[in-house]
Amino acid sequence: MHPALWVSKTGLSAQDTNMSTISNNLANVNTTGFKRDRAVFQDLLYQINRQPGGMSTENSELPSGLQLGTGVRVVGTAKQFTQGNLQVTEQPLDMAVNGRGFFQVLLPDGEIAYTRDGQFQLNADGDVVNANGYPLEPNINVPENTTSITVGTDGTVSAVVENQAAPVQLGNVTLVNFVNPQGLMAVGNNLFRETNSSGAPQEGEPGIGGLGTIEQGMTESSNVEVVEELVNMITTQRAYEMNSKVVSTTDQMLQFLSQNVG
Amino acid sequence: MDKSIFIGMSGAKQTMLAQQAHANNLANVNTTGFKRDFAQARSMPVYGEHFPTRAYAMTERPGTDLSAGALMETGRGLDVAIGGEGWLTVQAETGEEVFTRSGSLSVDVNGLMRTATGEPVLGNGGPVALPPYDGLVIGQDGTVSIVPVGGPPDQLVQVDRLKLVNPPQDALMKGTDGFIRRKPDQAIDGAEPLDVNVRVESGFLEASNVNAVEEMISNLELARQYEMQVKVMQTAKSNSDATARLLQNLG
Repeated sequence: MHPALWVSKTGLSAQDTNMSTISNNLANVNTTGFKRDRAVFQDLLYQINRQPGGMSTENSELPSGLQLGTGVRVVGTAKQFTQGNLQVTEQPLDMAVNGRGFFQVLLPDGEIAYTRDGQFQLNADGDVVNANGYPLEPNINVPENTTSITVGTDGTVSAVVENQAAPVQLGNVTLVNFVNPQGLMAVGNNLFRETNSSGAPQEGEPGIGGLGTIEQGMTESSNVEVVEELVNMITTQRAYEMNSKVVSTTDQMLQFLSQNVG
Repeated sequence: MDKSIFIGMSGAKQTMLAQQAHANNLANVNTTGFKRDFAQARSMPVYGEHFPTRAYAMTERPGTDLSAGALMETGRGLDVAIGGEGWLTVQAETGEEVFTRSGSLSVDVNGLMRTATGEPVLGNGGPVALPPYDGLVIGQDGTVSIVPVGGPPDQLVQVDRLKLVNPPQDALMKGTDGFIRRKPDQAIDGAEPLDVNVRVESGFLEASNVNAVEEMISNLELARQYEMQVKVMQTAKSNSDATARLLQNLG
């Protein structure tokens, strides 16, 4: 069949993937702690139809060969871990990381997941949990009759309990960092899992060793740039249209051939 | 059968190959740092001991358009675009030094700086390896400096420098992996020398240099040419049919 058909097909499917990435970014424009993805394109291998420098006859040589590209593909999506804007919510258990680092939450299967979404709440036992009910790791338990909770920028959590003059120290929120955060696996629910390419988590106190500080009463908004996404959407749509035009032109050529020869 | 049918067929087939080249350019209209390929046809006379009437068409790729694409702002520190001429050097799977302008870089778990497709980026002495860092800045001359973990942000440490090269354009060709490299007959001894005049812009990426309109027009033009070649085949066939009828009438 006509090779241009397959080449344009790769173009169509790559633009399609790009569009899903863009629409996912846009869909998450208001998701706390969301980090946008960017599709990475790569041209596919080139086929050598005629070797440059080959002999066309005994006495003449081809000055330039024919190497035909076979299309394009999306090799990956790169998460962009740039800082999102910090929004003031004034909720005592909302925390934002200002700088690098992730919160740790304990999944029901016993594994640890990592998140930038710092909207924490209390469950019935007084444990600090995220929106899905997964407890913060290390666990912080807030006693009954607590009137106010304070989280320091270094992660120290203290509470003022009724009828007690001195605040009670409840524990520390720690953060972890990765050598290559782009290698983390996004598993949905604003959570990431460790992989071989992200490296092992390096736990530390917020504000020290390259980790960001914790800002109480704030959440980190998504780092999606709406204008950028919309511009990308337009270029993707046009690229898709043009590739589909090649498909239809090629198809008409084959149709013409089969109608007129044979 | 009239030989012209074979000439028409060769024309149609080569037109299809040229169209593949243009379709590939168009498919890569959004690929960062992509350089479009040229396609042209030339006539190849058929050599031999016969009357020299036949010349077949032959599609070839005379080269790659190495002109720069537009710069797109991304704001990400590890995205680098080359301003003006020049190339980033990376290590291809085969181990050789190849050139690219696709500068969406990342740092892997071992601190090695890699391209988006995983090839190590070369610096002053081999692949660029970075110690753990808090912040990273790539300067205009390709200098990579970092704020070491826990260090004060005003004390940047220079770690390495991207190997930026600028070999003559006519010595370059695109390999089968899509990377640019020196033509075999233009190879030099040893590694490509550094060019201190190449400038990089951090926070930018270079768009593909494919002109979509041009590729679309080439595509339509080739489609019409194809139809004409088919017409030649059709004419050869009807000539042959007419001959056959004449011969039948003789009998």
